[in-house]
Amino acid sequence: MSKYYIYQDTKRCIGCFSCESHCKTKNNLPIGPRLTQIIPVGPKRVNNLPRMAYVFMPCFHCQDPWCVAACPTGAMQKRPKDGIVFVDDKLCVGCKACITACPWGTPQWNPATGKAVKCDFCMDRVDQGLEPACVTKCITKCLHFGTPSAKSRTTRERHARLVADFD
Amino acid sequence: MPENKCPVRDLIGQLETAIDSGRLSNPRDRRRTEDVLRLLRDVAWGGADKQHLPAMESLAAKLAQEGKTESSTQVGKLIGSALMQHREVFASHIETHNCATGDCVKLAPAPCQMTCPAGLDIPTYVTLIGLGRDAEAVEVIRQDCPFPWVCGLVCTRPCEFMCVRARIDTPISIKTLKGFAAERAMSRGSYRNPPKAPDKNKKVCVIGAGPGGMSAAYYLALKGYGVRVIEAQSVAGGMLLLGIPRYRLPREVIDREVAMLKDLGVEFQFNTRFGRDINLQQLKAEGFAAFFFAIGAHKSFKLGVPGESEFPQVIEAIDFLRHVALGDRQVPGKHVVVIGGGNVAIDAARTCLRLGCESVTLAYRRTRSEMPADAEEIEQAEEEGIRFKFLVVPTEVAGSDSCVKGLRCLQAELVSKPGQDRKYPVPIESSDFTIDTDVIICAIGQKVDAGCMESLEGLEWTRRQTINVHMATMETDMQGVFAAGDAVTGPATVIEAIGGGKRAAQSIDRYLTGIPQPTLPPVPTRRGRIDHLEVSAADKMTLQRPKMALLNVDRRRTTFQQVELGYPENRVREEARRCLRCDICLRCGKCVEVCRDKMGLNALQMGYFDFDHPVATDFRVTADRCILCGACATNCPTGAMQMEDRGGERVLALCGTLLNRQKLLDCEECGTVLGPAQYLDFVQKRTKGVARIAEDRRLCDACARKSSAAFGVDDAPVKKV
Repeated sequence: MSKYYIYQDTKRCIGCFSCESHCKTKNNLPIGPRLTQIIPVGPKRVNNLPRMAYVFMPCFHCQDPWCVAACPTGAMQKRPKDGIVFVDDKLCVGCKACITACPWGTPQWNPATGKAVKCDFCMDRVDQGLEPACVTKCITKCLHFGTPSAKSRTTRERHARLVADFD
Repeated sequence: MPENKCPVRDLIGQLETAIDSGRLSNPRDRRRTEDVLRLLRDVAWGGADKQHLPAMESLAAKLAQEGKTESSTQVGKLIGSALMQHREVFASHIETHNCATGDCVKLAPAPCQMTCPAGLDIPTYVTLIGLGRDAEAVEVIRQDCPFPWVCGLVCTRPCEFMCVRARIDTPISIKTLKGFAAERAMSRGSYRNPPKAPDKNKKVCVIGAGPGGMSAAYYLALKGYGVRVIEAQSVAGGMLLLGIPRYRLPREVIDREVAMLKDLGVEFQFNTRFGRDINLQQLKAEGFAAFFFAIGAHKSFKLGVPGESEFPQVIEAIDFLRHVALGDRQVPGKHVVVIGGGNVAIDAARTCLRLGCESVTLAYRRTRSEMPADAEEIEQAEEEGIRFKFLVVPTEVAGSDSCVKGLRCLQAELVSKPGQDRKYPVPIESSDFTIDTDVIICAIGQKVDAGCMESLEGLEWTRRQTINVHMATMETDMQGVFAAGDAVTGPATVIEAIGGGKRAAQSIDRYLTGIPQPTLPPVPTRRGRIDHLEVSAADKMTLQRPKMALLNVDRRRTTFQQVELGYPENRVREEARRCLRCDICLRCGKCVEVCRDKMGLNALQMGYFDFDHPVATDFRVTADRCILCGACATNCPTGAMQMEDRGGERVLALCGTLLNRQKLLDCEECGTVLGPAQYLDFVQKRTKGVARIAEDRRLCDACARKSSAAFGVDDAPVKKV
């Protein structure tokens, strides 16, 4: 895993796809590639009401990424300092091995450049001390950029509030 | 800017840098610059039309005048000056769809087309012939050459010498294919003239009914001019008819193609020698607004040896051929010596044989490999029994009582002169010998017979006694007078004369409509970008250039029947499939580089890409090593390498050559195509070390995401059911 993690509070997510559209804008992507994706799940009947869930799926930046192993040119790399997995545009020749290898379907095909593109947590922004585009523009503030431990803290606090139910 | 750099490409680069640099801070200026860039890209990709240049100019002017910042006005001026300075190059990109430098990769022209003096779009018509569309092929050819049949029989085919296919095995038989298509179209009645432009009510006079003059006449007539061709002889054809013997170019072929010109309304005036029967003033008085001189080079060079002019049996090859062509078929003598090593010499020698001479010897001062004549001609002459004597320098014509008895010669040796490629024959002292003969035919070259044009004052002549013209426009130093063909180039080829005639027609049109003349020679025009012929890799490698069927030698020695019998139809269609389509593939080698250096597969063996060091080419090895990843196709700048999924297969093809095809596997969930097994195995093998979870299902990325989405939904409402 990378040093970073994007936590999605699915309770707050309304499936507005702001994250996706800002991701595309920031990365200047044509029709086709979607680096992060909101996968709608449902609708399902919960207490006799239809309910939807929207699952935010960026790249997981795996510990041992299959895409990096699959890449024959060394374009797909894992950044040693923080574990971000990214494509070096100059090295990519567009063989799509990473796209085929990834079990999560993360690397995407950019037809405009003929190369693979993938979520790199907007590492240029991260290096400047900013958050990824998707997080910055999430209108319900359901996305949080941070370290994996921050997520467990939020979950615990929420659970604590549920347990201590004052109502 | 260096000469060989394309100004279109250059300007695109400069604008890209300007936009990327963020210098253009004003949004409207940036948008205008981007608009220009878009238009420029159209130009560089062959998608531009007449509106593009004015549109770019007006945008540049707006940028320069209304630009909000210093850098916007600078960019505006940059575009404006580039458009002004290289206007011709921009216009030529738009009109010809060819970029002479090849910098605009989509417009990189094929070497064969660039070599052709008339700029025929060879890949296009060869492919059309391969498709069996002969009439369309003839139509394409006639946009650049009005005599496809003639050229199909006698062209010196510079294209074939540049043919890239020769780096694999042998060049495409371009000449014969063209001849076949023209003959077929003519016999089927589908050889037609294109529609004429509306009458312009202006008249042009063409002097000389040879290939150059008639080409100009054809294109001028198509443009709507009234054309009269003045010819000293009683027949049309010029050197085609008078210089090339019938066994190479039957008279009917010339007649049929000339008839197409008459059909267009071109008027012929025979038996009229310019300067003797008619002069410029008379023609001007008749209302001719422009003149085109294509009088050829019909005067022979003299040997310059003693006795040459004392005997009537010393004749000039070009006169001899003319007499024979015009019907005087007397045997010149029993034993003939022909002096010279060019096509005219061979033609004269072979004609003598056909007229019944007992022995014909060809004496040349260099060796066989230096002979300027066509290799096939030499071979055929040898088969017919012409004897060759090399390294022979004639010194004197020997004879008595106005009868030639022999030709005294010296043996020579070849000596290389410093700074010159060609070796020179130097006579060896006291090596003299005599060739016994009754007749001597000199074929050592021709020059322009300038006599008829002496009255033209202000016409400049070159050192070589040819008419001095501007080679881009064929304009002479006299206003309204143009010239081309052998009269300009010195004795040259049919196709050069045709190219010159075509260029002259364009210039005459510009002259008469008041459009300024270009300064650069025209770039050949791309007449189409037609789809490739699909050929399997094995066929592409194993198909052989057909051997030309020849008339049997006995017939050849006794009659003037056509010697080359042409190819049968199936061989013609197959031959067209050997074409590598260099109009699409510019042989940049990116595919090979990516496959070998980046992917490490080395599945593409295209040795012919490397001009300087051609190594073996084999399209068949691709099928063994290729995994169909498509990196080559993705990195191909021109779309020559293509990968597509069809009929449950993934197919990789280079200009229609099927390099690899494999069955496709589908996503087990939704049926989306995943790729061929080789490719999936390649990826699986590489990820074996890290992919600990055995993935036994083949899923597409959408389905993979969906199936794994559930993992992330630990506190989602769905889970709470």
